[in-house]
Amino acid sequence: MGFREDLCDESLDALAIRDAIAVRPLTLVRAAIAAMRSQSLGCVVIVNNDYAPTGIFSEQSVIQLLLRGASLDETSVSEFADPNFLSLPITTPISVAWDAIQSEGVRFICVTDTSGRLVGLTGQRGIAEYVSDCFAGQVAVQRLGSQPWMCAREGA
Amino acid sequence: MNGNQSSEPVLFEDPMANYEPRVYSSDLERALGEEEVASIPSQPFVVIGPDATVRDALQVLADHKVSSLLVVEDGQLQGILTERDVLERVAERYPKVSERPVREVMTTNPTVVYETDPAAAAAAAIAVAGHRHVPVLRLDGSVAGIVGPRRMMTFIRSRDLG
Repeated sequence: MGFREDLCDESLDALAIRDAIAVRPLTLVRAAIAAMRSQSLGCVVIVNNDYAPTGIFSEQSVIQLLLRGASLDETSVSEFADPNFLSLPITTPISVAWDAIQSEGVRFICVTDTSGRLVGLTGQRGIAEYVSDCFAGQVAVQRLGSQPWMCAREGA
Repeated sequence: MNGNQSSEPVLFEDPMANYEPRVYSSDLERALGEEEVASIPSQPFVVIGPDATVRDALQVLADHKVSSLLVVEDGQLQGILTERDVLERVAERYPKVSERPVREVMTTNPTVVYETDPAAAAAAAIAVAGHRHVPVLRLDGSVAGIVGPRRMMTFIRSRDLG
């Protein structure tokens, strides 16, 4: 079976799904930023009373907020929600997420259970890790650094 | 000289005699292993000087709708400023740092790939090392572009021939 077929046959639960930071629409930006930093996540997910995602506040939101001079202590996450919001059930084929990322530049995908409750977060990172796992023989063996490989290696 | 030289011919054993070329499971795996990073779309990219202010850098990020800036001086990469840097080093103290130079908040010495590295190296930098923005350099150190998950996906789709 080819890679393309895998993307259609496998669903989002085959991707790495990270625990999301769920917040209320009126959560203050300062608290959201502190949570994003502590969890090393690029967004928080705004949920309603049913724990269904209704938006995200992302690193891009932070930049917009800073440029407009808004106060971190007087501004809620819903005021600067990222318009690039996508929520998909966990049973959705990976190919749908792939297309959304490629065509619309979506970075984060809120993953829900079949009743619409937030389960976690995936996106560009999750798909990149999926590709890496599929081709581990090529990807996992690579040397990485900030110098050309021949300069970085020791000895002759 | 060695007085015990044998008159028997020395049998040459070719070390490559049993070499078997690598077998790939698919065109895509071959592309990752054998094509160069230069094959991955790495443009456009946006650069800024290290002495630009943080405020100006944020404005450039917003104006160009990009999530990272390559910090370049005299044609050489000095660092990278990403949305994550803004979150970590700027957001909670913006009034204090907004007029400071970018060099004070950027990531120095970022993981890079070279145009001649295999495409899989870019995939590793993104997926294994976890960098969302990976500068692409020419061997002379000049900046050729930047790759990230979305551009990697474009490359993969174009090479996934079934």
